[in-house]
Amino acid sequence: MTLRSVNLPGVGTKYEFETDKGDTVAIFFTKTGTIQMYTLQQGCRTPSAAEMTPMEARRLGNILTGAIIEAESESVEIAFSALADLRITIHTYLIQKAIAGKTIEDLQIRTKTGVTVIAVSRKDTNIINPPPSFVFETGDAVVVIGETDQLKRFEREVMVD
Amino acid sequence: MEGIVLALFVCLVLAIITKYLSIPPIPFYIIGGVLLGKSGFALVTSDEISRFFSQMGLIFLLFFMGLELKLERIASNRSAVLTSGVIDLNVNMLIGFVAAYMFGFSIIESLVIASAFYISSTAMAITSLIENRKLMMREAETVIWLMVFEDLVLIIFLAVISAGGQNPLIFLLKIAGVLAILYAIAHYGKEFLISLLDRSDELPILFTFGAVLTTASVSMYLGVPETMMVIALGAALATTDPDAFEQHARPFKDVFLVVFFVFFGITINLAGGVNVVMILSISLLAVVSKFISGLLTGIFIHESALAGIEIWGNTIGRGEFSIALAALYGSPIIATIIAAMVIVTSLVGAFTGKYCTGLRKWMAMPGRRAPHHPHTGR
Repeated sequence: MTLRSVNLPGVGTKYEFETDKGDTVAIFFTKTGTIQMYTLQQGCRTPSAAEMTPMEARRLGNILTGAIIEAESESVEIAFSALADLRITIHTYLIQKAIAGKTIEDLQIRTKTGVTVIAVSRKDTNIINPPPSFVFETGDAVVVIGETDQLKRFEREVMVD
Repeated sequence: MEGIVLALFVCLVLAIITKYLSIPPIPFYIIGGVLLGKSGFALVTSDEISRFFSQMGLIFLLFFMGLELKLERIASNRSAVLTSGVIDLNVNMLIGFVAAYMFGFSIIESLVIASAFYISSTAMAITSLIENRKLMMREAETVIWLMVFEDLVLIIFLAVISAGGQNPLIFLLKIAGVLAILYAIAHYGKEFLISLLDRSDELPILFTFGAVLTTASVSMYLGVPETMMVIALGAALATTDPDAFEQHARPFKDVFLVVFFVFFGITINLAGGVNVVMILSISLLAVVSKFISGLLTGIFIHESALAGIEIWGNTIGRGEFSIALAALYGSPIIATIIAAMVIVTSLVGAFTGKYCTGLRKWMAMPGRRAPHHPHTGR
């Protein structure tokens, strides 16, 4: 597999490589900010294309590198091999109507499940390390950190209230 | 002043509609201008302010062209760029020139028409390739380099035509002098420029605007064509951080260029009567002549006439550079012809950009004789 990159004037940057089986994949980072991915099967004449926003392209990249485990909400597992194989999972959830209006304290998230809410994304603003008095709203995306078991407990006991 | 506001508002509505339908907006800005101007409802007339804005649009268009101009990259791709570029230049210039000359224009006028006839719209070609998802096709790269070549020809053309009347030696010396200064500034001030562009306050954008305006006015004062000089400024600054300059100059270009297009339409004067036959035949010829050059390029570069259909489909649209030539050197009649040609070719081009791949497939279907079979010589 050889990766070829070309800078096309007015268009952007093109990356192209051929797989061992003879299929071709080409990625274009266009100046308009979108990313186009083309795949061309060996022996085929017309490629098929997909256009992505930078966010979607990053998601795809995460899937390809194997960082994403579940499809619906995102989750990343980090393993520190030097620290006795410490594994921490960071997971995102969307707040549903049932727990909207409640605070982190009300829900007793840490005492009941062991996980910690490390960030909340509300519309276009991010709140890092929200205080216990933080009130959730429907549609908030929360980022939760913990062990896999703790996250399962969180899903069972808090999210499905 | 109210005129500009009204014109800009009309353009905004047109931009929203054309983006929604994904068709090129330039022909609609011009049509909008014609309707607003003295040939239409006479709602807007050009004044001192609109002329200044239009001038800015032209200057920023050319500055952008300079930023994109990377001579070392052209040099590394020389043979492919040259072959397709020379075919495109000869076929279209010749057909455009002969047609204009036969309709009774003088040699200089015919040359202006032929240049506008020859030069495809880079913006439309690239948008067509991106929006119709054709970037991976082999022909796409040919089209992109063709646009770069056309830009180079335009620069040479601007240099030649604006030298007219002056002592060529003094003219060349003046140009060389300004060029040397620009490149020296870019070369020795590189570190400073890059640190300036890195700032997050108003400095980078102020500097970009100021540099373009200063270059334009200094070259006017020296009697050197400002069109050439802003291209040179772009090319010189491209050796520092072209992406940052593009980012800072884009808002100016986007707004002023729209003003430029709509006021080009507004100043079009149809009162002298128009020769519809002549206008239509030149517009249609513009579509046909790119077909011929496309086929030849397909045969010479991709060894397939069918590849030429793809090249043709994406390069039909004439646009910003044709209008620029008309605004710079055209008489009212020439401006009308070029405006009509831009409108016809860009609309046809939007259509062929979408459907030429289908046309090509249909022509390549087994059992149908294609006009030329791809050469299979290995």
